[in-house]
Amino acid sequence: MRRHMWSIVVFLLTLPVAAPLAQQSFDRTRPPTPGKTPELRVPKWTTGKLSNGAMLIVAERRDLPLVSFSITFLGGSNQFEKPDKLGVAAFTTSMLREGTRTRSAEQLALDLQLLGTSVGASVGSESGSLSFLSTTEKFGPTLEILGDMLLNSTFPDAALERLRGQRLVQLAQQNAQPGVIGSRVFSRVLYGQAHPFGQYTTEATVKAVTRDDVVAFHKDYFEPGRAIVTVVGDIDLPTARAAIEKTLSGWTAGGSKPSFAYPPLPEQRATTIYLVDKPGAAQSVVNIGLPGPPRSTPDYMPLQVMNFILGGHFQSRLNANIREEKGYSYGVNSWFAYGKGPGPFTANGDIVTEKTAEALQEFMKELRGIHGERPITDEEMQTARDSLIQRLPGQFESVQGIGSAITTLYVNDLPADYYQTYAKAVSAVTKEDVLRMAKKYIPLDRLNIVIVGDRKTIEAPLKGTGIAPIVLLDEHGNPSK
Amino acid sequence: MFNTVRPLIAFLALTLVAPVAAQQKPSAGKPAAGKSPTIDIPFEQYTLPNGLRVILSQDRSVPRVAVNVWYHVGSKNEEKGRTGFAHLFEHVMFTGSGNIPYGVHDQLTNGVGGSNNGTTDNDRTLYFETVPSNYLETALWLESDRMGFLLEALDIDKLNAQRDIVKNERRQRIDNQPYGRVGEILSAATYPPGHPYSWSVIGSMEDLSAASEEDVKNFFRLYYAPNNAILTIVGDFDPAQTKGWIEKYFGGIPRGKPIERPKIEPVTLAAEKRLLFEDAVPTPRLYIQWPTVGRRNADQFALSVLASVLTGGRTARLTKALVYDKQAAANIGAFQSTSEDVGEFEISVTPRPGHALAAIEQEIDAILEKLKAEGPTEQELQLATASQELNFVAGLQSHLGKSMQLADGAGYHNDPGYYRKAYEARRAVTTEDVKRVANKYLTKGRVVLSVVPKGKPELASKPEASTKVGGAGEVK
Repeated sequence: MRRHMWSIVVFLLTLPVAAPLAQQSFDRTRPPTPGKTPELRVPKWTTGKLSNGAMLIVAERRDLPLVSFSITFLGGSNQFEKPDKLGVAAFTTSMLREGTRTRSAEQLALDLQLLGTSVGASVGSESGSLSFLSTTEKFGPTLEILGDMLLNSTFPDAALERLRGQRLVQLAQQNAQPGVIGSRVFSRVLYGQAHPFGQYTTEATVKAVTRDDVVAFHKDYFEPGRAIVTVVGDIDLPTARAAIEKTLSGWTAGGSKPSFAYPPLPEQRATTIYLVDKPGAAQSVVNIGLPGPPRSTPDYMPLQVMNFILGGHFQSRLNANIREEKGYSYGVNSWFAYGKGPGPFTANGDIVTEKTAEALQEFMKELRGIHGERPITDEEMQTARDSLIQRLPGQFESVQGIGSAITTLYVNDLPADYYQTYAKAVSAVTKEDVLRMAKKYIPLDRLNIVIVGDRKTIEAPLKGTGIAPIVLLDEHGNPSK
Repeated sequence: MFNTVRPLIAFLALTLVAPVAAQQKPSAGKPAAGKSPTIDIPFEQYTLPNGLRVILSQDRSVPRVAVNVWYHVGSKNEEKGRTGFAHLFEHVMFTGSGNIPYGVHDQLTNGVGGSNNGTTDNDRTLYFETVPSNYLETALWLESDRMGFLLEALDIDKLNAQRDIVKNERRQRIDNQPYGRVGEILSAATYPPGHPYSWSVIGSMEDLSAASEEDVKNFFRLYYAPNNAILTIVGDFDPAQTKGWIEKYFGGIPRGKPIERPKIEPVTLAAEKRLLFEDAVPTPRLYIQWPTVGRRNADQFALSVLASVLTGGRTARLTKALVYDKQAAANIGAFQSTSEDVGEFEISVTPRPGHALAAIEQEIDAILEKLKAEGPTEQELQLATASQELNFVAGLQSHLGKSMQLADGAGYHNDPGYYRKAYEARRAVTTEDVKRVANKYLTKGRVVLSVVPKGKPELASKPEASTKVGGAGEVK
């Protein structure tokens, strides 16, 4: 079909007078037939070990003079921070910029800025990283600075105090953001105070961190025994390996992969609405969910398909209904936060205050729907499959994207041919699987519904829905009057 | 409510008025010239007889393609009392068109592994998709139908539904965010009432409610015509085949009326305006904004470098003094915002507890005066431009990012290759240029806005000399 139309167009282009016919020669109501699906080209990479035991991954990509470099550390704040010192990881990564044995903080900043790049340093809940993107020409000098930060940082006391002051202002500002309050209280309700997933940095923990804590965290955490070094771009394996062995020669063997063992989850309660008052709020921040499975679950693919249909894209059931049809929100979606531990399932949206109760009813309707009340259609299955499979090449657009696509396989213990077999695995998911996933992972009688909004306007209507009893919480998730 | 089928009559009528000579006139692809071989986005361009400009740039690194339709219309084309219109319209463009029911657009972009979105600013409205390369023809079909046949599927119900969503967008981004209303307060203070840049892109709640179906239709007829649009395609495609598709889908859309573009000049302020806004915020913030210049004025580059000299890195003047040496601020930022016709230079600062806005303002002024007197050093200039090459080359990895650079160049400067001129112009800025623009633009004619927690006006900088702003409905 496509070939046929194409030949007509070529013909007409050479005979301009006949061009208007081109407009009549096709039916605009019919979507063009897409061409053959492009062949999946997964970047190739090589793995090895550095002499200090860290894993090395190198992928060449030569079309631009760019190199992406990262060291990924397995384990994060959930594994390495004490509950009363939350924030020490963030302080430590910030302190890596505060000077080394041979560079003052200002010199460090100047040297990096003149190279046109910056070194990223961060620790998340279950992994951390040091990384940079540079031009090929600046790769060596930038790696040298990263090595200096990693190995020779001096952690001056005065810098910690300055950072503490900045962090406290930042916390105060976050505390005023309804979205931040919503996700924090949601975590607290799901996991409780005793579980790392339910803990968050507060003024008290920020004030408790000392220089000794920072030095100890640095020593314990940034170890090659739990590290994956990933280099992608305009560079080959021998060059990368030689540069790393030479520049990071002081980074000696030590450390191991953390266990990722988590305490048991608190007992899950019957479905409840937890309401946090935000007087005068123009919108209510709604989070609905419960603890979910780890990334290693064999249910991963069917869960991905189920969530895609429920709230994983613009025309998903949740967004199509609550945003597009009802106009209650600027956007509603849902996701599973997969990791080593029981990351949550979340359905989320910011809802216009006056329609909070109506929107919650629609959320519940769609959750019942995915449980079978509204059967999954063939079209929904097809869209989920096409979208999940055909978006894959987009991950390989940039050297940073390629780096993270490869690294994530090793972080999550996935097979090396994961991307080659991905399409098959997605295609194997059936409607029955989707239904089974909904029932297994989104039990309607054990949902936590956390709403941050203007209590005076929304409480009575929420009660009127009869969906669940209402418990009032303060902005830290503690019981409130 | 959403699915509307295009009446056949209108379709035939349209083809009758299609230009007889629909053959494209390819102009020679413009070979890029310049020093660095990596600062290059190869492209070719041509214009269809109906005025649609086409820019093609092949990049087969991944089997995907970005399609970008750039319409030269933004909030500055609105009228007072009808603000928020251009952006509301952006939403309407996703509600289906004459031949394509609502939902199909998402189905054939998101639903096949691609993505889509739109964005509106003061000057232009942009629609874009990134799709697997085998869906390029589909994307052209989708974009051409909403360019050529949108009104056949538009009714008041659709308009109202999108109006509600836009109001939610306003609540989420502006009204329910601490400091969220600062942008519109500064615009209203910097530009005289009725000036096309004096209102915010998202508009006021009242104006959004007032837009009628007829308003929307007239707006579309004038601005969403091929002669006001640029189609840019970047990625994995076959040029000859793609040109055929462009002709097929866009060639028959009739040219619209000529668009009159009122000449909008940058403004100056005769004196300092001091404002005080009490908001649901945890800590005070200070904003200083000067009217500067837009894209047509080369001073934009020196102003951008000036911003880097002030806050672009740890040793930048304001950052070093206020965040590190005095530790009076938790953060500080300066930037030059360059629109098509006008621009603003803004400094914003969050104090640390115990540090008054007035003292910080005084400190900022002293540092600015020193810079105005002595100019920056060569090293400061070098620091300000050092990241340009990496940023540019990293940007080349994104099909969509490249399409935006090419389209902006074509739309604003009549040259898709303008990115290179801008790149070189910023690198060519001298210490003398920075000194000159600092003296020329960072004058007493400025807006100084203190945002303070409700009930604490005394935390403002010089509250007695400041006018309270931000009451409900006051800022339009």
